[in-house]
Amino acid sequence: MVNLSRDENLNGTPAPLRAELRDIRDEDLIVMVQEGHKKAFDELVARYKGRLFSFILRMVKDPTLAEELTQETLIRVYIHAAKYREIAKFSTWVFTIATNLVRNKMRQRSRRPRVISLNPAPDDDEMPVDPPDMTADPSEGIHREELANLINDATSRIPEKYRIPFLLREVDQLSYEEIQQVTGLKLGTVRSRINRARTRFRQLIKPMLKNETLLEELERIEARAAEEKNKDF
Amino acid sequence: MRCHKAKECISLEMDEHLPPDVTVNLTEHLDSCAGCREFRDDLILGRRAMLATTPELPDNFEWKLQLKLNQTLQRTAGETAYPWGEPDHDRWRWFRNFGTAAAMGMAAVLALAMFLGPENTFVGTGPDSGGGTPTGVAQSTTGGAGDSDRLPLFVDQSRRGGLYGVGSQRPVSSAGQPRSGNGGLFSRGWSGHNSEDLRTIDRLRLQNGLLSRDLYQQQKLIQGMRAQLDTTDANALDLEQE
Repeated sequence: MVNLSRDENLNGTPAPLRAELRDIRDEDLIVMVQEGHKKAFDELVARYKGRLFSFILRMVKDPTLAEELTQETLIRVYIHAAKYREIAKFSTWVFTIATNLVRNKMRQRSRRPRVISLNPAPDDDEMPVDPPDMTADPSEGIHREELANLINDATSRIPEKYRIPFLLREVDQLSYEEIQQVTGLKLGTVRSRINRARTRFRQLIKPMLKNETLLEELERIEARAAEEKNKDF
Repeated sequence: MRCHKAKECISLEMDEHLPPDVTVNLTEHLDSCAGCREFRDDLILGRRAMLATTPELPDNFEWKLQLKLNQTLQRTAGETAYPWGEPDHDRWRWFRNFGTAAAMGMAAVLALAMFLGPENTFVGTGPDSGGGTPTGVAQSTTGGAGDSDRLPLFVDQSRRGGLYGVGSQRPVSSAGQPRSGNGGLFSRGWSGHNSEDLRTIDRLRLQNGLLSRDLYQQQKLIQGMRAQLDTTDANALDLEQE
């Protein structure tokens, strides 16, 4: 492990390289953040931003709000880094912050009266400019989007109390003990809720399970992801 | 193993939380139960789909995060430097402004009241005042018993108290009497005239006092005549003799 202390950093010695930080545990990185190493925080952001965004987006179903809450979570990690003690895993601490933020936001939304827009369809001028990728197969993108929509829609229809442990397990791959710490539930309750959520999720994605095109698309996505992983190594 | 129990075990097996002996039982059940096998395959497929459709982060996420973090740190630093709150975010500023405006308004009203306040409004002089110097001997404003049909000649000095003396009436006459000490704080008022005007006022007050004394004497005369008229009620007055 790279030995970096605050003095070294303040004396102007070069900050650790990104590659050196990759081998360091999360818990050691947050200690480095406490000591004033900003690169360590960058590494933590790189590790958690995708997982947090994925979890939060599937909870709130609004990309803008999900981005905002992800940023808020990471900012809180930085601001309150000094409060972290290694009595729990860092991932548990981060997802506890994220879960609390999401719960608060969802509670606020449920209290707010719904506003229905009289002009829900945006004008052509207001549509975001997103140049198409000429090299990609258009049908592939459509299938992928259809698959993602189906999964997101099914996830959002799972009741909230089952959805949180389910997503923490499936998306963020936390252990049952970590989920127990994040949610404050008993271990048996965590198990049963994940089981119920999975059963419900299976019912909701039934259309996909019978759709050959979507299954082929799933295999294609997985193959491409495996290729990219091999390239990185 | 029953299917209901097997489905619970499948979920635990996916997370590698199933004890080895139960795993053996589950494997035996799955070999013989197509429904539970399908259930397990569906769950695995669902997990695969979930991981494959991980949403991508928006563009410039890290840049936006850095910007937001800087703003938060600046705000936190500002709060540390100004723990009572920055002036721009003072929620009670309107109240202080309102209070200042109200205080200034009150001061203006008080100044106006002092400027326009009622002077001593002693209307007449008493009969026992020596050398034309009125002492403020007064009668009741009702004029006493039996005089209810007459206008009051004197203002009751004892009633002239309080902060503003006789109230907000404008003085009609001062009768040249010295300023009495039993008036209100602002009963004398302040004319604000120059010395020429003050002399004119004093002269008019003196004249007014003389006229009031004449009037008083005339009134006394009338009262005497009335008394005489009352006493000669039984014997008719011989007008011809007079």
